[in-house]
Amino acid sequence: MNIRTVTVIGVTGTMGANVAGIFASFGNAKVYCVGRDIEKVNRTISRIVGSVRADAVAGNLIPADFSVLEQCVAESDLVFESSVERIDVKIEIAKRVGKALQPHAVSCTGTSGLSITEIASCYPEDLRCRFFGVHMFNPPYSMPLCELTPTVYTDKAVQAELRGYLKEKLYRTVVEVKDSPAFLANRIGFQFINEALQYAERYKDNGGIDYIDAVLGPFTGRAMAPLATSDFVGLDVHKAIVDNILENTQDYAHGTFIFPKFAQELVAEKKLGRKSGGGLYQLVRYDNGLIRRTVSDISTGQYRDVIPYVFPFADKMKKYIAEGDYRKAFEQLVDNYSMEAHICRHFLLDYIVYSLFAAKEVGYAIEDADDVMATGFNWCPPLAMYHALSTVADVPALIRENLPDVCEEVDIDELLAGVKPSKYDYRLYFKSGW
Amino acid sequence: MDKVYILGGAQTDFERNWKKEGKGMVALLKEVMADGLEDVGLSFDGIRELNKDNRVACFIGNFIAERYTDQGHLGAFLTEVDPAFYGVPSARYEAACASSSAAIDAAQAKIQAGDYDVAIVVGWELMKTVDPTVGGDFLGRAAYYEKEGKGVDLPFPKLFGRLADETLKKYPDLDEKRYMDALAQLSTINYGNAKRNPLAQTRKWFMSYGQANMRGTGTNPFVGGRLAVSDCSQVTDGAVVVVLCSEGFAKERGIKRKPIIKAYGHRVAPMLFKKKMADNKGSGYILPWTRQAVLDAYRRSGLTVEDIDVFETHDCFTSSEYAAISAFGLTEPGREYEAIESGLIAFSGKKPINPSGGLIGCGHPVGASGARMFLDIYKQVTETAGDYQVENVKNGMMLNIGGTATTNYVFVIGVE
Repeated sequence: MNIRTVTVIGVTGTMGANVAGIFASFGNAKVYCVGRDIEKVNRTISRIVGSVRADAVAGNLIPADFSVLEQCVAESDLVFESSVERIDVKIEIAKRVGKALQPHAVSCTGTSGLSITEIASCYPEDLRCRFFGVHMFNPPYSMPLCELTPTVYTDKAVQAELRGYLKEKLYRTVVEVKDSPAFLANRIGFQFINEALQYAERYKDNGGIDYIDAVLGPFTGRAMAPLATSDFVGLDVHKAIVDNILENTQDYAHGTFIFPKFAQELVAEKKLGRKSGGGLYQLVRYDNGLIRRTVSDISTGQYRDVIPYVFPFADKMKKYIAEGDYRKAFEQLVDNYSMEAHICRHFLLDYIVYSLFAAKEVGYAIEDADDVMATGFNWCPPLAMYHALSTVADVPALIRENLPDVCEEVDIDELLAGVKPSKYDYRLYFKSGW
Repeated sequence: MDKVYILGGAQTDFERNWKKEGKGMVALLKEVMADGLEDVGLSFDGIRELNKDNRVACFIGNFIAERYTDQGHLGAFLTEVDPAFYGVPSARYEAACASSSAAIDAAQAKIQAGDYDVAIVVGWELMKTVDPTVGGDFLGRAAYYEKEGKGVDLPFPKLFGRLADETLKKYPDLDEKRYMDALAQLSTINYGNAKRNPLAQTRKWFMSYGQANMRGTGTNPFVGGRLAVSDCSQVTDGAVVVVLCSEGFAKERGIKRKPIIKAYGHRVAPMLFKKKMADNKGSGYILPWTRQAVLDAYRRSGLTVEDIDVFETHDCFTSSEYAAISAFGLTEPGREYEAIESGLIAFSGKKPINPSGGLIGCGHPVGASGARMFLDIYKQVTETAGDYQVENVKNGMMLNIGGTATTNYVFVIGVE
């Protein structure tokens, strides 16, 4: 697939800008950067250059607005729509793109959850076969995951060519997923994050948000604790993802996608997270340079200082991880009967089970779950997590012991029969710090 | 003399930032040792067994852990990795960025002398423990610190920038633009090769010829004279294990089809850059002692440049890789650009240099780099380099330098 000219629609958004950078750099394509406000587009160009750390790509970036959308599309080999996550907006854009798209060109949407098939059906019949979901993760420069979604209309030869282009030219980790709400990575990741949010509510008298994050911190195989991640992404985005899954899917973990009431209230008050100056957490900056990290206390609705919790199992795990004694670290997790260790085990084991389950439902192979979680979330991927725990325990037995309810809902033996060695090294995901 | 076999080894993922993972040198050494021993089919119990008869020893290459991690006595430090190392002879070797080559050299000598049957070489450096300016000052100790490093911001980029200046001065026929274009091409090749290496630091990074040749911008600022960030290797954390053994051990264990060290070269040039340049006046080469180390290795191996199928070189800066091209004998001195422009040294060329990505692409944890190149040549010769495997490799050569090409180490590895 020879892609020399690309149009990115919605370039002033975070993903639009970052994706434009990927096409302009690795793809060395001329990129029409289309936004509603040309002034804003002009200001975005330097951000795009910065996102790929290369002034040399500036020459590939051409600012444009919606008044010239059709001209840009008509010149393009690939069109990438990265507009606001509203189906009406995406349909309107699809109709305009469909009128100008060249017969040899490919069109994509970067939506993180809307129906690809529904958008595809807005294209003229002869072009629907050339439309795909191409879902990247933020920031794509360091998160290479790309979820590729074909539709019922898809021309398989075009899909294979597009896949090759994304993989070979743009250096993406391409995972083909079904046209299912939130696709694979967010389905797995937000099952975990949203259940953590529910647990924060359930354990609000133990501390709530920062308490759960302290139980599921970087020592459990991730760079950032789950609720800190939600705060970083934004509670509004988090809510949109889980609402979509809750409304349009039905599986054993259905209840874990219900967005908790206290979080609804934070959203209503526009306390969305880091981007709005506070959400689950709030950083308070003083004139003398001091920064105080505070957290919303679910019981009172007020921000208070983050508590430096001390859980013996977690402290020992961190100490062992710091010295590279992973086995001993996992022994602490497996052989500890404190409530916190129990919660931690529940989450890590259910993460394995739900990942394998979702990979079957939304992906095509069990390894897909590994690829999406490693390269889209930077979490220890599920098969690597399985391997990590299997160094100290019989993982199926551990699952039966810790997840009796889940075991009643899913055929655990059949699911675990598909477990394979992971191509990812679990060691680098388990960190000892906060 | 007895042959020295290479059994294999392991490299850590050079993308990793160990400080960010909350891990230090104990974790680094435990991981790389576990992986290295697994690769060669040895266990800690196996080491205990060999150690009963004093048949195994360890050789540690590290430049300056005293500064980066406040730790010396690094040979003995292996006892913290596993009790199996209690009683195992182990010492640290230092020759700046050529430290682990000095460790390999000592290891092969001990095996050849019949002192030990198995030698475990570990090269390592943790550099992200401090900010790059402080780290740059530490590295200044690889030059004559008092005269070339002290109080200088990033002394090494400046010294290798001077090597670029001196190259242009020494070869008046060399067009400046042609030279700078060639350096940009070297950077592009190294970044491009790193994309195939799953352990390379820059495997996700973007670099193009356009970017490498656009120096002095916000994303590619000058760091040393005419050299910019794209001409430099990066600050890297990493460790490498290489395991060598004697012919007797190979026979005893039924080990077959492992490559051997065919030759080494080791020459030291004047410490001060100024004296080094004054010293080259009588030679066609800008770095005559680097060339001599290569010649020594050719002589000892009985091979010529025609016999070498792949090279790994010390591209701490593009200007050092440029000089290495003629030192290897791939071109006449002063005409190194020919090998770059013709594609001779590209991944698909006849004489690829740095299929791993080199120091610029793969990364440069200084005390580990010699062992990393050695392991990469081993992989090429044994056809285990995966996506960066060069076709039909029988012999490979590596050049590892310390300081401003002050210490020069060359090894030739090949099939028997």
